[in-house]
Order: sequence, then structure tokens, then C-alpha cells
Amino acid sequence: MTGQSQFGQSHLGQSQLAVELHGITKRFPGVIANHDIELLVRPGTIHAIVGENGAGKSTLMKTLYGMHQPDEGTITVNGTLVQFKTPTDAIAAGIGMVHQHFMLADNLTITENIILGAEPVDHRGRINFKEARDRIEALMTSLGATFNPDTNVSELGVGQRQRVEILKVLYRGAKILILDEPTAVLVPQEVEELFTTLKRLVADGATVIFISHKLDEVLAYCDEITVIRQGTSVAHTEPSQVTRRSLAELMVGSDLPDPSGRETKVGDDVRLQVTGLNLAGDIAGAKLALEDINVAVHAGEIVGIAGVEGNGQFELCESILGLRTILSGSISVCGQELSHTETRERINMGLSYIPFDRHREGLLLDAPLWENTFLGREENAGLTNGPFISRNKIEADCRTIIDRFGVLTPSEQVPAFALSGGNQQKLVVGREMAGHPKILLAAHPTRGVDVGAQAAIWDELRHARDNGLGVLLISADLEELIGLSDRILVMFDGRVTAHLNPATATPEMLGTYMTGEEQGVDG
Amino acid sequence: MKFFKSLTTGQRTIALSLGFMLVLSIVRLFTNADDITSSGTLSSTLRVATPILLAGLAGVWAERVGIVNIGIEGMMIVGTWFGAYGAWKWGSWAGIALAIFAGSLVGLLHALATVRFNVNHVVSGIAINILAAGATEYLSIIFFKGQKGGGESQSPAGKGGYGEFDMPFLSGGRIGSWRSPDILGWLEKKHDLPLLPDLAGVLRGLVSDIYVPTIVAIALVPITAYILWRTRFGLRVRSSGESPQAGESLGVSINRLRYQAMAISGGLAAFGGAYLSCVFTSTYRQGQTGGQGYIGLATTIFGNWTPFGVFRGAILFGFPSALKFRDEKNVPALLLVIAVILVALGIVSAMKNKQILTMGLFIGSAISAATYFLVDDVPQEFVAATPYIVTILVLAGAQQQLRPPAYAGIPYRAGENH
Repeated sequence: MTGQSQFGQSHLGQSQLAVELHGITKRFPGVIANHDIELLVRPGTIHAIVGENGAGKSTLMKTLYGMHQPDEGTITVNGTLVQFKTPTDAIAAGIGMVHQHFMLADNLTITENIILGAEPVDHRGRINFKEARDRIEALMTSLGATFNPDTNVSELGVGQRQRVEILKVLYRGAKILILDEPTAVLVPQEVEELFTTLKRLVADGATVIFISHKLDEVLAYCDEITVIRQGTSVAHTEPSQVTRRSLAELMVGSDLPDPSGRETKVGDDVRLQVTGLNLAGDIAGAKLALEDINVAVHAGEIVGIAGVEGNGQFELCESILGLRTILSGSISVCGQELSHTETRERINMGLSYIPFDRHREGLLLDAPLWENTFLGREENAGLTNGPFISRNKIEADCRTIIDRFGVLTPSEQVPAFALSGGNQQKLVVGREMAGHPKILLAAHPTRGVDVGAQAAIWDELRHARDNGLGVLLISADLEELIGLSDRILVMFDGRVTAHLNPATATPEMLGTYMTGEEQGVDG
Repeated sequence: MKFFKSLTTGQRTIALSLGFMLVLSIVRLFTNADDITSSGTLSSTLRVATPILLAGLAGVWAERVGIVNIGIEGMMIVGTWFGAYGAWKWGSWAGIALAIFAGSLVGLLHALATVRFNVNHVVSGIAINILAAGATEYLSIIFFKGQKGGGESQSPAGKGGYGEFDMPFLSGGRIGSWRSPDILGWLEKKHDLPLLPDLAGVLRGLVSDIYVPTIVAIALVPITAYILWRTRFGLRVRSSGESPQAGESLGVSINRLRYQAMAISGGLAAFGGAYLSCVFTSTYRQGQTGGQGYIGLATTIFGNWTPFGVFRGAILFGFPSALKFRDEKNVPALLLVIAVILVALGIVSAMKNKQILTMGLFIGSAISAATYFLVDDVPQEFVAATPYIVTILVLAGAQQQLRPPAYAGIPYRAGENH
């Protein structure tokens, strides 16, 4: 925590603030998104804005970035009262925003992406690539980034893309950076790198406003915290003055549910048995995507799989579902061998799947909720009339799922894209649980959802487990893995490299196994 | 193989072209089909290729900015009509200028539909094709019918020519009133030598007997590449086709760019149309474009959305057409050329251990060689279809390595992405 003491001494308002928002109110038709928000950001700090999904964090940042104008309240930047009509005004005032969803053109080079819209040109409109390159390389040195600015963005990984986004903002001379949930897409190592980068920027005199709902990283890396709840600012604090739990309670506004603890016993019968599974790589001749995987999940048991994304978890799920043709090995559900059955039959046998990416695989975003909850359950006799679907029954069923999982929506007729991420995820989980599966493959069941929804989903998983459901839990949230799982397997490079006991495992320990630093079977 | 990979793109292109010339030369010596590398064939290849080249460039501009332009055919039709009208009223160059102006307006119409009203790009393009065909027929009835040489499906002849160009020394062009020696022409006639007369013929084809509009069209290839890859405007155009959100979030006006690029696209396509009705012939005839707009769009695709790729594609299509125009007896020799090229590709794929592909290529080669030796009379229909067959084969072969602009044809509304 560099600079911590320095902030301890001085207090708000003592020196000139980088950003000062007073009484910001923003109404949309029928909603008050922001109400009387106060935000004070000291220059040269990383300032976190935390809150649940839908608390109004993004709306506030859009106001600051000039994407819309506040109905009430004032914005002061570096001591000057300002009014931003467009982001261009905000950029001119030295504010830059790194969006949650990257805005990069894949088939253009890094340089081209960075200079777009602010190209150094001669009088004929010809781009001076040398000047651009020199400036970008200087910025890259200050960031500690090491890529060739002439490569195409399509060749970059997520962490590097984010760095390009930051470079874009710095190239325009921004001194105040807004990062909208920058870690949502990053794996733990990349998060570490990101904060190293941000620390460098802050040391060079920049100010970072960091939006997040991941409390660990906020507590570990940020200098000050503003908590937003239900559209208004409820607290301004520092990491040294709060704990993870008290911060979460500030966000939610009520007491949190207790962490796990189970009373029921793990059942005896094996629900899912994977033996000696091998799967070929995507490219002919490449190494195996999965190598000799052995996993067993019993009734009433949650088996966690830890691993950095891309180490075979996705392929394992798809193999179990029958979406990929395996090389050798066997997969059985409730003792029945599955090798030559279709995905449809496997689902009918009690297999269920919460997919990795709810937008790509889990939902039809343009379809209404009732069609979405019907997906994959077309053969459910309770929802059909002979060969026809029964809209009444499906809508009633959808309303049951909405009620039971607390999905916030005006009705089952709205399209799925109208829901927030957390509510979409609750809907997907609800759908997969509604068929009373025997075995559930849950991939990142609480990714990108807020604390409240996370607690609700966890409760449902525990409840179903106590009733005998076997769960294969894949997650990047190590707390979630340790809290929910009865056993943890670590996957690295397409293999299971360790068996860990959640009672003794710590996130740090999981981390070393996940990066392949340590391998081998442990307690 | 390793050696080939170590070359730069330019060196590879030269190596491949020399290899191709060698194949042509061998086939020519073997079959006595001297025309396959004669300067006459080459200059008529350029003539046939020019409208396709322009249509292809129109496709590059449209797709690079993110708009699928199926309407190129319609814009060409508009170009043929207005080109002929202008040439008839005021003279040759005025015809081309009028065509480009009219084509730009049609391009803007397509932009208006797709950008402002968010109409599906294919639907709008097809509407433009139908509209263009109908409108030109209607205009012909009003303006051309009853005029000398004109009718409801034909225009009166245009005034004036465009001037042809011969390079001094290389192909006997004039300097003042002195006629310089025709060095390449002399070399080309040494038919018994391998390779040399072929190279001379091809080079002479490029520098003799060329219409000035052809030179303009070919010059547009590097000009387009320069604008798209070296200027601010070009970078913004490409970003609009790749990720309009990115540009929009950085203050680039995507909509304005799309109107501008579509005006250019329409103008280029109409220039291609005017070339048909003013340069290639001197009258407008209904149905003159004959689907060349679509072929141009195909060259956009298998030229990987680059101007030079389009140029290659247009030449590739123009070559068999030119052979066909000059003397149909040349077409069978093409079968041998195809056979040799397939063998070469087969050897390459064998080195890469792709057994099925290799086998297919060798079988294909054997079939075309056998056809050449066994069949005396190539049917008329096959001859007419050759350019299209070649285009389809190349399209099929090139498909895998192509990288279209990511956002081409996807509906986009400014300001809705936040």
C-alpha cells in the first residue's frame, strides 16, 4: 500500500481534487439511476467505486465521461467547474475511459487502433507513422508493455488488449482514467499485471477511477473507496478501515448469508464417472486437449475444478455433453456408459449444463424469457401439448423460475437482453435446475453477477446438493471453489495435476497449482 | 519451401509470376497456340479486365467501410447509360464524368438506405439493381428512342475517342512525328525461343495499344491502396468496417465516412459501366454489363478486400475472356496450362503432407490433360463458360485464407453501443 500514510494525514478538500462530483442526479424515463451522489477523487490515487450490479456505477461514470448530462449536480475537474456535452469534451479535459467491452478493431494494428481519431497527419492527410510509433513506444515504456505495435490486435490476448485500450486513452493525453470493471475478463495473473501497470501510472501522476464489485482486489490495490448503493453514494472509506465483510455489507445494505457449511453427507452412488478421457487438440498433430482425465462425482457432492481458463475445462464439459468426439476413455452417468449417445439423450438421462458464456451459449438474447427457459427442455411433457409447445404451460413454468430465483424483471415476455447480467445468470441457473438434473456441470455459475445474486445462486446449489444433486463446479472465483466444493481438482495444460482438500486449501495455494508451478497429488 | 517463405511478399509475387510465365511458355511451345502470351492477348485482357477491376475496387471501398454492396451491378448499369448519354451529347470524357457523378448518387442512395434507415444491405443492393435496370430502360425510351442510331434499348453512338497509348522504344510509340523502334515487338516474334518472347509479349501488351481510361483505372489500384493504408481518411474507413464502435467512441463520425466511401464506391462502379458503353464499345446497350458487377464483387472477395488482390482477380478473369475473343482455338491450350498448374499445386500439397488434397489435384490435372489430348473440338458452350469456370475454381481454392472486414453488412446505428 504505497502512499497510504500520506492519505491518512491529509483530509478531503485539503488540496485540489482531481474529480469532484456534487449532488449528481440522473433520471431516465421511469427510473432514477443516480440520486444525489457525492464523489471526491484525490489526484495520484487509485479510487475504487464499488457497488452491486445496477447500483448506478456505470451511469455515474458515463456522466463524468460526457456520454450524457446529469439532471442535477456539478462536476469539477482539477478545480474547474465543467460541463461535458460529448466524450470529446471530457477527453479534452484530460479524462479517458476504458470500456468494459473492448472497442478495438481486430484486423488493424495496435498502432492504428491507438491513433484512430487522433492521427498525426501532414497537410495532405497522410499519416505520420513514425511520429505515432515514437509516441506509442514512449507510452509503452512507461506502462511496461512489451508488444510490437505493428502486430494486429487479433493476435493479442485479453490482458494485452486491455493494455492497448489504456494506451489509447493515454495517447490522448488523459490524466484521469476511468476503468469500467476492468478485471471482469482477466485471469488472476493478468489482474496482478493490470494493477502493476496502474500503480506505475499513478506514480507518474495519473489518477485512476476503478469500478468494480470484486472486493478482494479493491481492498488489495486501491487507495480510497466510494460505495454506491441503489443509485446513491453511501460511504467514502479507505481499505485500512474496512474488512471484506463490512464492505460487502455496505454494498448490499444488509447482513450477508453465512458461508458454507454442510450437514448432509455425500452419497455413495457415483453420478458421473469419467475414466481415462483423452481428447484430440483442435489442430491435427497438436498435443492432446485433454489427457487421461479421471473424475468421479457422487450424489450430493460438489467437485470443484480449479484452473486458469483455457487449460481444458471447456473441452471437458463439451466432452461430457457429447459436443466433441473423444479419442478414448469412457464417460458414464449413473452407471450408464455414454460413449455412443447423442447430447439430447445425455440431457434426458439427467445431465445439465450452466455454460461458460451465458450470452454465447446460454441465452437467445433477442427472445423473450419464456422461450429462453424452454430451451433444451423441448421434450419435457409438462411443457408441451402432444407435438405442439404449450405457451401457457411454458409461461407459467417461466414465472415459477423467475419467482424462485428472484429474477428481477417486469414479466416473462421481455427479451433476455433487457435483463442485467446477474438476472440473466439467475435465469440460466433456474432453467438448468428446473429439470431436476442428476448431475450439473456448472461453469462459472456466478461470473459477473453481484453479491446478492451470487448468494442466491450459491443457496440454490447447496440446496440442490443436499437433495442429492452431483455438481461439477468450474470456477475462477477461488473463494467460491473453496467455499462450495467437497473436493477440488486442479487442471493444468489439459491434465488433472492435483487433488486438494478445500478444508485445508487457500487461494494462494490454489494459485500456485493453477499456474503449473507445483504439480502432483496433495492431501 | 523454406526458401520461398523467406522471401518478401514482393519477391514471392515476382517468383510466382515468373513460374506462371514459364508454364505458359512451355505450353505455347508445345501447342503452338502463340496467342496465349501475345501482346494482343494481353492488351485485350486489360481491356476486358478494366470494368471488372473498377467494380472490384468499388467493392473494396464499400466493404472496407462496412457496407455490403450487391448493388455494384446496378451502379454499373447506371454508369453505362449516363456514360453513353454524356458521350453522345458532349463527348467521350464528359460521358465518363457524368457516369461517375450519377454512380456516386446511386452509391449515396445505398448508403442512405443502409446507414440512415438500416435496411438490410443485400435487400437494398438488390433493390438498386432492379431499380437501375428499370430506370435506364425508361430513360432510354425518353431520351434515345427516335434519335439517329438510338432506340429503347440502345443509345446513339458517342462522340470522340480516348486516344491510345504506345510506349516509345518498347512498343514503337511515337515521339513527336518520329516512330521509335518496337523492341518488344521484335523480340515477341522469335517464337522458337522459350520464355523470352512470352515475357516480351506480356510486357508489350502492358505498354501498347492502351486506352487512356484503362491507364486511369489501373492507376486507381495503387491510389486506393495508398489512401486506405497511408492516410487518415483511409484508416478511418477501415476502422468503420472492422469495428465502428471503436471509431465512434473516439469521436470519428462513422455515418459521414460511410456516405463518403459509398459515393466513391458508386462512382468507381459507374466508371466501370461507362468503360463498357464508351470505351469498349461506343454505344449503350441494354444488359451490357452482363453480370460483370457481380464478378467484380467476387474479385473483391477473392482479392481478400485489397486493391492489388482485386487487380489479380480481374486479370485472372480477363485472360480467358481475351483468349476467347481473339481466337477460340486458344482455349484448349488453357486446359494444358491448368493441368500443369494443378501438378505444381499437387507437389506443394504433397510436401505439406496433405494426401487427399494432393490426390485430388493430381486427378484434376490428369483429367484436364486427358481432355486436351482426347477431345478435338472443345464445345462452344465450354469455351464461353471458361472465364466463369476459372473464377469459380479460384474462388473455391482461395476461400479458406480470406479475412473479410469484421463488420461488413452488420447493422450498425451510431450511438447505440454504450
